[in-house]
Amino acid sequence: MSARRHPSEERLLAFAAGTLSVPEAVVVATHLALRPETRAWAELGEAVGGAMLDDLAPSGLEPDALDGVMARLDDASDIAPPVPRTADPSLPAPLRGFALGPWRWLGPGVHVRDVLGPRDGDCRVILLRIAPGQSAPRHTHGGVELTCVIEGAYATEDGVFSRGDFEEADPNVTHQPRVVSSAPCLCVAALDGQIVLPGRLGRLLAPFVKL
Amino acid sequence: MTSSARAYDGLLSRVAQTRDRAAFAELFEHYAPRVKTLLMRSGSTPSAAEELAQEAMLLVWRKAHMFDPARASAAAWIFTIARNLRIDNLRRGSSTLYELDPTFGMEEPQQPDAILCGAEDAQRIRAAMRTLNPEQALAIEMAFFQEQTHAQISQTLGVPLGTIKARIRFGMMKLRAFIERDAGASA
Repeated sequence: MSARRHPSEERLLAFAAGTLSVPEAVVVATHLALRPETRAWAELGEAVGGAMLDDLAPSGLEPDALDGVMARLDDASDIAPPVPRTADPSLPAPLRGFALGPWRWLGPGVHVRDVLGPRDGDCRVILLRIAPGQSAPRHTHGGVELTCVIEGAYATEDGVFSRGDFEEADPNVTHQPRVVSSAPCLCVAALDGQIVLPGRLGRLLAPFVKL
Repeated sequence: MTSSARAYDGLLSRVAQTRDRAAFAELFEHYAPRVKTLLMRSGSTPSAAEELAQEAMLLVWRKAHMFDPARASAAAWIFTIARNLRIDNLRRGSSTLYELDPTFGMEEPQQPDAILCGAEDAQRIRAAMRTLNPEQALAIEMAFFQEQTHAQISQTLGVPLGTIKARIRFGMMKLRAFIERDAGASA
């Protein structure tokens, strides 16, 4: 079975509705930045949100609400300064608003760094860089894992994933992506819980490798 | 509803082009009370919803130049303003993730096939939504208005998670197919 390369329609609707957790939204937004053709789904969700907004019953406002807002129209003193964008400018726009942790060695040809900020319980965002021909440590998934390829390409049992491709890991599948591009493969991933490395090596590494 | 929905698009364009205060006041009268309802249904207290609804309308005034009537209805655009404000209120700064909205700095130029023709037309969206079966419509509505994850919707309705996801997925596909067919027919 060939896997799809974009987020599911229900995940895109949750993104449009604003109910997706921030770590998941980071990976979905990265995909949308790199794959404009998927944006139509998010825009459809926003259009649905607009139609629903139009049809909602109005709630009464304070009597002076309109006057108060009209009086503030020309007052720019409370405009929030833009969020500083200090991170790596070579990254897709949705990732530039976050600070990044240092690269850490995770295994031969495999490095990982934290995207600091987006967190939801145990769920967080990392960048993963894997050298050509190398595999990520073989692992099963403690929770949902969403991945979007930023550079390069990797292959799994489901086929090849390249720039912009989005993968939703199946928690029942043991996974070992292998980099098939000639340049290193850079991915952004949202992880929920710890990645479980199976087997003896996993038990051996578990105390040291905190992914 | 059709003509009035179009009228709101026109009002917002006038705000954008000529800073028309009377047009803004009309938009405010329609949308501010509905944005307040939206925020209350998403879990805000009435007083927080009131404050955020007023802030949202202030942002409508300030960002009106970014509104593109060829891409979104006024309703959809104001919905995104309210959504981003609510997200930032809960998780500060995270609405920057939505800045790939077509009106913001784009990663890559917009491609014609990325535009869902007809989605900017509030009447078409409404007609499309009438083709959903009640379960699909409810699942989609709950995904919007109750700040609920799909797992929570599944619990509330006592229906398996996979069923909720399938209802949303097939509902979305139905909406898109209807809008594309409808846009094609009237082109």
